[in-house]
Amino acid sequence: MTSIDLPRRAVLGTAAGAVAAAALTGCGDSGDDHPAPRERKKGQKITLSFWSWVPGIDKPVDLWNRKNPEVQVTVEQVSAVDGEQYAKMHAAIKAGNPPDLGQVEFPVIPSFLLDNGLLDLAPLGAARHKDKFFGWQWRQSVFGKGIYAIPQASGPMGLFVRQDLFEKWDVPVPATWDAYEAAAKKIRKKGAWIETFSATNGNRLAGLAWQAGAKWYATKGDTWVISIDDEPTRKVADYWEALVRQKLIKTIPDRQNAWYKDLQTGAIPAWVGASWGDALLVGNAPGTKGKWRAAPLPQWKPGGRTFANWGGSTTAVFAKAPYPKDALDFAVWLNTDPESIALLINGGYGFPSAKKGYATGALDVDKAFFGGQEYSKIFADAGAHVDTSWQWGPGVDTLYQRLGDAFTDALGTGASFRSVLTKVQGQTIADLKGKGLKVESGT
Amino acid sequence: MSRDTLSRPEPLARRAPDGARPARRGSRTEARNARAAAGFVLPFLALFALCFLAPIVYAVYQSLHKTERTGPLGLGGQEHEAFAGLANYTHALTDDQFLAGFGRVLLFGAVQVPLMIVLATALALLLESASARGIPFFRSAFFLPYGVPGVIASILWGFLYVPGISPLVKIAQSVGWDVDFLARGTVLWSIANIVTWQFTGYNMLVLIAQLKSVPEELYEAARIDGANAWQVARHVKLPLIRPALVLTGVFSIIGTLQLFAEPKVLRPLASSIDSGFTPNLHAYSEAFVGNNQHVAAAEAVLLALVACAASFVFLRLVGGRGKERG
Repeated sequence: MTSIDLPRRAVLGTAAGAVAAAALTGCGDSGDDHPAPRERKKGQKITLSFWSWVPGIDKPVDLWNRKNPEVQVTVEQVSAVDGEQYAKMHAAIKAGNPPDLGQVEFPVIPSFLLDNGLLDLAPLGAARHKDKFFGWQWRQSVFGKGIYAIPQASGPMGLFVRQDLFEKWDVPVPATWDAYEAAAKKIRKKGAWIETFSATNGNRLAGLAWQAGAKWYATKGDTWVISIDDEPTRKVADYWEALVRQKLIKTIPDRQNAWYKDLQTGAIPAWVGASWGDALLVGNAPGTKGKWRAAPLPQWKPGGRTFANWGGSTTAVFAKAPYPKDALDFAVWLNTDPESIALLINGGYGFPSAKKGYATGALDVDKAFFGGQEYSKIFADAGAHVDTSWQWGPGVDTLYQRLGDAFTDALGTGASFRSVLTKVQGQTIADLKGKGLKVESGT
Repeated sequence: MSRDTLSRPEPLARRAPDGARPARRGSRTEARNARAAAGFVLPFLALFALCFLAPIVYAVYQSLHKTERTGPLGLGGQEHEAFAGLANYTHALTDDQFLAGFGRVLLFGAVQVPLMIVLATALALLLESASARGIPFFRSAFFLPYGVPGVIASILWGFLYVPGISPLVKIAQSVGWDVDFLARGTVLWSIANIVTWQFTGYNMLVLIAQLKSVPEELYEAARIDGANAWQVARHVKLPLIRPALVLTGVFSIIGTLQLFAEPKVLRPLASSIDSGFTPNLHAYSEAFVGNNQHVAAAEAVLLALVACAASFVFLRLVGGRGKERG
């Protein structure tokens, strides 16, 4: 797993870090309006609130509560549909009453920083936990000298297929995107659809662009460089548009009832998903037990090994948390304690960000569902070959919404997917300018 | 059933003129009366100011300001509010998506509101006709959907719309009709269906209340003059419930402009509803996804202005004749 810490990434990281460090030193006494964080007195009982949507998160929290009677954590389940959890968090920050802790995904950390929503954990000594985690995942929440979250899990991407149907229809599991298109054609002839292109799923599109070598966000000096319509992303857009226009693929939204139904009935026998998708399939298509297999994400070049990440999240401490030290202790424990990780893995939260959590065979939680396949190896390999130079920027939630709206429109009107990228590129630059940032186009 | 189960609007109307007391008493009594009146009015005024005026003032204030950020890359920097003039309004009014949302709700209102009012009137007249049977049951049944919160109603209907799950789609397909309730061209009318289902019964009840206030003698007189049931409805009842019709019309117009829950709930199910499908949804997206509360505030103010204007235009169109029978 050492290949994750590429020297190239380290160099880029330092460069970006230096810039952001300048940003932080330049801003003087930000955060003065926050109440002074308090130190818990010995024996004092406190309760921390924690917003999350991860299935089974209550189990490790229960464990923590049993072990730490003085620092009780209460979980509030928030909806993860359509970005609602972040809407709720942003609203709470605006209103001045955010929870102590929250589940925050890699892509949206910069958006929260824009609102000074997250607490910098560096002054609390968070840096000493750095080596417990995979470097590139730790860096997702490092900006300048600030450390804004504790990484929890990543989501290396892969392909889920219904082995039984692929065999029955004599469709080889595609190893390349060309083969994927050929498979889509064959499956369509059998009356099924290989899967769906969900217009509103910006997260997956980002992952696919990431795999193709796109760099949506970059920094140059103190300017954000936006490249949503770069060549790799255009390649991805062209590819999926061709599938849609040939009517080889459905266009229903994914991860909602109609899609689950299609998974259950085999009307959709494949899914370009991510490591955490096992829990999703098990939970929503229990009747297909034993019929699924995981395969590596199809490649652009035959024999290639380029992978990407979909999702991936952290445990963050919100800026106004009154007991930041205890919140940090909980966040670190939740994501590094072997017992906690085991419980999280059982819940299906993704691939642990902690190095120790990775090694176990326990990741094959639902082996039986995948016909005994050690499917986590597929995702472990993908995780080891994720291009770690990808960087997220501010306003990703708005970007996803823009993409969703433009793709929705393109599906209806027949506008080209490339025109979607051009449009969203322009909108994103305008959005960030509107937020008072320095922005330029990278394309 | 008894015809008096619903309260009549008359007593209120009759009391109104009494309220203006002739002030021919001593000044002490007058002062005491004024104090007493103030005491009665104060709780209302306080709540009104807190829950109604204050948010409006705050929204207008927000709409005239913007957030400015300092520091390179904008991360971790300081932010402060600055006066923005009408910039947020210009931003909203040049946003195609926001304007398209307005066009959509206006089209929706032009079709759905008349349809619903006609339906509600028909039901009210049927239930109030002499030959109606099982009135309490039907009245409750028609009114029941109003008791279902909009979000729940949308989820319920969502299940009936989504292909692969919906029995309606299955039945339609089995007879060779390939219907998609959530397609680009149909989804607005699928939402109209939910709204109609929800509010027809409510509007019906308002109309029934007004019908009940019509003195029996009028019907008797009409019958003696030889009017049949249809003529009574057309020439006696309809003109008399005009004020209630105007009222339900205004409520419906305002409700239409504020359309939010239905598209919000159906959005994850349909790849045809965008984040600015209605003006309210657009403002929500600006505020909570884009985190641009200031623009959202401007959009909310614009929406309120349009609702005011639309109601005013409607009232002017139907004229002052509604007041004939206050």
